[in-house]
Amino acid sequence: MNKDITRDGKANGSSQSVITTQDVNLWYGATHALLDITMEIKTNNVTALIGPSGCGKSTLIRVFDRMNDIIDGCRIEGKVYFRGKNIYDPDVDVIEIRKRIGMIFQKPNPFPMSVYDNVAYGPKVHGITARSHLDEIVEKSLRLAALWNEVEDRLDQSAIGLSGGQQQRLCIARALAVEPEVILMDEPTSALDPIATAKIEDLITDLRKQYTVVIVTHNMQQAARISDFTGFMYLGKLIEFGRTVQIFERPGQELTENYITGRFG
Amino acid sequence: MAAEIKNPFQGTGGRRIVERGIERSLLISGTVAVIVVFFIILYLFRDAYPAFRNIGLGKILTGMKWNPAGEPPSYGAYPLIVGTVLVTLGAMAFSIPLGIGSAIFISEISPSRLKTGFKFLTELLSGIPSVVYGFFGLVIMTNWLRIAFDQPTGESWLAGSILLGIMALPTIISVSEDAISSVPTDYKEASLAVGATRWQTIRRVVVPSALSGITAAIILGMGRAIGETMAVMMVTGNAAILPEPIMNVFSPIRTITGTLGIEMGEVAAGSSHYHALFALAVILFIIVLLVNSSALFILMKLSERFRPSGKKSLFQIPKIVAPLLKKVLWGAVALLVVYYAYVRGGTRGGLEAVVLLAFSLALLTFLARKSSPRQGQKIVFSAISGSMAVVMVLLGVILYYIVVKGIPAISWDFLTQPPRDLGRAGGIFPAIMGTLYLIGGAMLIAIPPGVGAGIYLSEYAREGKITRLIRAGIDNLNGTPSIVFGLFGFAFLVLYLDLGISLLAGMITLGFMVLPTIVRTTEEAVKSVPQSMREASLAVGATKWQTIRRVVVPPAAPGVITGVILSVGRAAGETAPIIFTAVVFSQRFLPHSPMEPVMALPYHLFVLTTSVPDSLHNAYGTALVLLIVVLMIYAAATVIRLRYRRTVRR
Repeated sequence: MNKDITRDGKANGSSQSVITTQDVNLWYGATHALLDITMEIKTNNVTALIGPSGCGKSTLIRVFDRMNDIIDGCRIEGKVYFRGKNIYDPDVDVIEIRKRIGMIFQKPNPFPMSVYDNVAYGPKVHGITARSHLDEIVEKSLRLAALWNEVEDRLDQSAIGLSGGQQQRLCIARALAVEPEVILMDEPTSALDPIATAKIEDLITDLRKQYTVVIVTHNMQQAARISDFTGFMYLGKLIEFGRTVQIFERPGQELTENYITGRFG
Repeated sequence: MAAEIKNPFQGTGGRRIVERGIERSLLISGTVAVIVVFFIILYLFRDAYPAFRNIGLGKILTGMKWNPAGEPPSYGAYPLIVGTVLVTLGAMAFSIPLGIGSAIFISEISPSRLKTGFKFLTELLSGIPSVVYGFFGLVIMTNWLRIAFDQPTGESWLAGSILLGIMALPTIISVSEDAISSVPTDYKEASLAVGATRWQTIRRVVVPSALSGITAAIILGMGRAIGETMAVMMVTGNAAILPEPIMNVFSPIRTITGTLGIEMGEVAAGSSHYHALFALAVILFIIVLLVNSSALFILMKLSERFRPSGKKSLFQIPKIVAPLLKKVLWGAVALLVVYYAYVRGGTRGGLEAVVLLAFSLALLTFLARKSSPRQGQKIVFSAISGSMAVVMVLLGVILYYIVVKGIPAISWDFLTQPPRDLGRAGGIFPAIMGTLYLIGGAMLIAIPPGVGAGIYLSEYAREGKITRLIRAGIDNLNGTPSIVFGLFGFAFLVLYLDLGISLLAGMITLGFMVLPTIVRTTEEAVKSVPQSMREASLAVGATKWQTIRRVVVPPAAPGVITGVILSVGRAAGETAPIIFTAVVFSQRFLPHSPMEPVMALPYHLFVLTTSVPDSLHNAYGTALVLLIVVLMIYAAATVIRLRYRRTVRR
């Protein structure tokens, strides 16, 4: 067990890896935001990225579905394999990538549409028009996001009227509706109260049965509670990566230990 | 590893082609808009160049006499430039305090259920076409001024300034109001939570945060005043002289725009006079450009410092500028008082009123500061409410005269018959139809490239030097006086392309005039859609165009529609751009082809008022019909906008 994970994140465990990065470097203009990131994301696991503000964890998670593409002046080097294909190859359609790798943002960002239309948005843009089929997807996604019971009778009302926690679960449902394989979550609970946070955490634990989850979090306890693997980042570097138990109980790096024990950050 | 596997993420070829096609077509519409912008500027310079070469820029700028009919003719624009500056300053002197006061009233003091009403009434003020203002000014206001101040004539600097001030008010009010209303509630709550009064909150938190928007509002209002042609031309007397003494507000005065409006129609193409007029247009263009760019520069600096994420504190600017500004203001007031008390020895009328106003304002500030915060608030709030009341009274007076005197002229025949006896009798049917044709055509020409360019600039264009240059070009054209478009249309469309005075030339000129507004309002509306919406859509694998079409455009649509509506209303009421390109005074029939000239309501009103004696009855009728046409356009569009908003929000 000790030996099967090395410091640079190469795991030799039994489960398959879905995303692999190789020497990823990223610049925002002249700022070097990510340095030589090499890591693997395992299928049907929850991988947490922790680290102090500005360490690059949100930037890294956005590398996985090429959301950094939309930022002007952002340049990336290195390789990011998803199912064995480098998603930064010129022949890759970013749309396909984002369909198969969903993303949840820090602040709930439902569209100013009805609950139903929010969830149906993804399937619609991907060409599903049959109402019955959409109904089915919407219900299934909302159930998966543990929101169905709360919104069942107000599907046609504006999503803006939902509480913050409900909005975030709606965003998760919206992501699930296009049946992604991986769900990236960028501090999904930082704008929520503890009860709503607990619900999202339960949801994440459920989701890992069917999906691969990568979550950026500020909250170390959260990482410890819900993740199987944890990466600790600092100043754009992946300092340590391994099983969560190991990172929290026997960190290999002094920096990691200092952070986990609250000496900085 | 990658080499063995067939690329599973290739995407479908069709989708890529669609995406690329859309981006291309948006790029093309953007390019069209930009080419138009730069072409107009170039063309102006081209036709002005011979004047600069033959007469010399220095002589034009400093020459004291404008007399193109003289022998030899003289083309000294100095009195005209001074006239433009004076009229604008006069207008700003009262529209800035009234406008900002009203804006604060609407956004912070007015009970919320009345807010929409006040906003609507302010918009109404901006819906009144400039020729209607000119009509009111010439027929009603100049008389009042003549009698009130016992002058030989009311057609003067003062009349021009009052009229321009009223016309600048809606711009100043609505833009400032937007800026003030968009100050986050968090700020206000934070201030109120520490026990500040509402006025303290407004003065220390709300207004400073909205300062850049308010500055923009003032500059925009100023731009409108500088470039206004019809109203000014109708009430300033148009004598190309310097006021004697310089502060004599009862002196007639002539502006650059007025000169262009009066002389362009009668000039021989290619003559030295013709080129001199283009030189004037270039000077006007450059004045407006300087005003706009200095404003943009201030705005840029302000927004840099105001950005909460910036390192500098949020409210630093007012701390530096406010004392300086105060000193300058007090200095100016003191100088004026001294000047009037000693130098002029208290002659009657005029600036005394302004001085009195400034004095009472100063007194008010003094009182407000010396009294307790609560009493201070009361005093200031009543002053602010007072400025709103003044604006409403101005609107009421204008509408009252137009409506009450216009209604008796309106009959079925008036609306359906052609004019007879030089418009003294008969109707205005061809003019109504002509106006509708003109704006319809202008919209067909301007909307596709305008909206396309707006979306392209916001969503596709990379921020860089070229994008900034394009935006600056469009911004400057946006503030360009409508008469300059008229000149361009005359020189390029009517003469060079040989379209003649025709419906088509008018449509194109009006279309070009509203194009920049449509581009910029579209861009702003589209940009204001939060980035998180785009990310959410892209994150589920929507394409860029799907994201724009389904997520970005729907919430932006009301804003885009508003921009288009505003330009339609503007186009309908404009006279200056069509006066040399499209209209004739009298025509019994509707045009059979776009190559024929048309009648138009604003021009008809202008000619009746200025050139046809004893036609006042029908002039009132025409003014009312024009007003109703313009207001109906606004109303219809507002309804569309509201309905759209409702369906989107659900």
